[in-house]
Amino acid sequence: MKKLINKIAGLGVAVCGCGVLSLASIVLAFFGSEKSIQLMATAPALGISAFIALLLILRGGYAVFTTRYHSALLHLGCACVVSGWLMGQVAPYIGGEDKPVKGSMAMVDGDVMNALWEGAYLTNYVGKVPFTVKLDKFIIDYYESSHVDQSAGRMPPIKEYRSRITITEPGKDPYVKNVRVNHPVYVDGYHIYQMSWGQSQNRQGQPVTYTVLQFIRDPGLWFVYSGFVIIFAGILLFCIRMFKAKAILPSSDREVTQ
Amino acid sequence: MMVKTTLQGGLIYLTMVFFTATLVAFGFKRRTLAKGFWFAGFLAALSSVIWRGIHTGHPPMQNLFEFFLCMAAFLWPLSQLSRWKNDMDTTVKDATLGLIILFPVGFVFSEAVRRLPPALQSPLFVPHVASYVAGYIMLARAALMSLPMFKRSSTKVEIVGADIASRQTVVVGFLLITIGLVLGSLWGKLCWGHYWQWDPKETWSLATWLIYGVYFHLRMKTGLRKPRQLATFLWIGLLFIVLTLTWINLSRMFSGMHNYA
Repeated sequence: MKKLINKIAGLGVAVCGCGVLSLASIVLAFFGSEKSIQLMATAPALGISAFIALLLILRGGYAVFTTRYHSALLHLGCACVVSGWLMGQVAPYIGGEDKPVKGSMAMVDGDVMNALWEGAYLTNYVGKVPFTVKLDKFIIDYYESSHVDQSAGRMPPIKEYRSRITITEPGKDPYVKNVRVNHPVYVDGYHIYQMSWGQSQNRQGQPVTYTVLQFIRDPGLWFVYSGFVIIFAGILLFCIRMFKAKAILPSSDREVTQ
Repeated sequence: MMVKTTLQGGLIYLTMVFFTATLVAFGFKRRTLAKGFWFAGFLAALSSVIWRGIHTGHPPMQNLFEFFLCMAAFLWPLSQLSRWKNDMDTTVKDATLGLIILFPVGFVFSEAVRRLPPALQSPLFVPHVASYVAGYIMLARAALMSLPMFKRSSTKVEIVGADIASRQTVVVGFLLITIGLVLGSLWGKLCWGHYWQWDPKETWSLATWLIYGVYFHLRMKTGLRKPRQLATFLWIGLLFIVLTLTWINLSRMFSGMHNYA
């Protein structure tokens, strides 16, 4: 058993595995974010990720057995992160239109919606969220105009933009929330993000400012966060071990460590 | 190439002068004088960071100019730590590293102040960037400390000393870049909606993290039987860091969500 585990998830495999994954990561950098996301959502990429998670669980589980707790925490933490990511990747195939995992709403003041859309111009319908959202007001705050702005005759940069929304969940009283950049709102399994904004014209040809809110449901998120905590604990133990460890030399050279 | 004529520029050039003076004094074996210059350089670097913070009104970690400025101010405390912990005098290596870091700050990067866009207004901004600054510095120093492991003329005692110093430094650096990576993920989730977007900077950071994974596993597999191989991976790690800070940050080929950095 020990020999088998060391053969399929031993240090040699780890050295090669980390090296290959590092190179693969660099290759993905050349593809860019969008293509990489598509590539990593394909069946082979998901299969390889699941295999990596299995190896990590095997190594971590064996480390628990041999009381090497730093190794157990590090490998199981990584396995947790990869598994959580995989859960997020397969969620769209399980949820369907009843439980979309990702989509956006482009709204102007007063709009009431529960449908999510995707695509560059938000033209593809993806499903409905189990609550309705009304945009009360979209607000943009600017920095104070500096003398450089004034002499250049331009607007100062944007300090903050936010959407004040009223959420109505079935069987509950409506309530108001502010969605700001860096401050998503959590409603019934969905995080609502202030993604962007823009200017367009309404049907009467008048200029309107619209806001884009993004809705994301990720069932693997807490797995990933738990993985982060476990990895952190593992690295702390690993640090202590590395500080205590003596140099390991071939047997004939041991005297130099005395 | 541009020379800065502001107070900020003056403080940067003063730091560079002190760092150079440290190296010259060391070259003439005037160690006490070198230590004095080295400390003066730290004070100048610290003043530079503090002035930048006051001048811009935000923590000076928004762009490469500020990131490198902070890195230079981290060096003196780290060299003191090495002296105390590993009994190693790393002043020459650190001063050289400081000059390399400050050259683009003094002559390449613009010091123009930008007001923070909404995405950068987060309490995670400072810890995310600061842990990367400190982590990268530690990992760069670990690579420098591993230099005796390359030399054929090094004695076993020298190799063991270099291994212990570089290993202890690299493990702290690894801890710091892990914190940086995790905080970046949490921030990404809050700001962009996802903790991992396969952004070029993210993938290069993951590649760097994994290279140190290779180092640690190799260290456990071979011990010190192949010191050159171990040190090589520390230098590959440093190469990745340099590439992340330069090519990945500045090239349009890798444009992505970290573009404002």
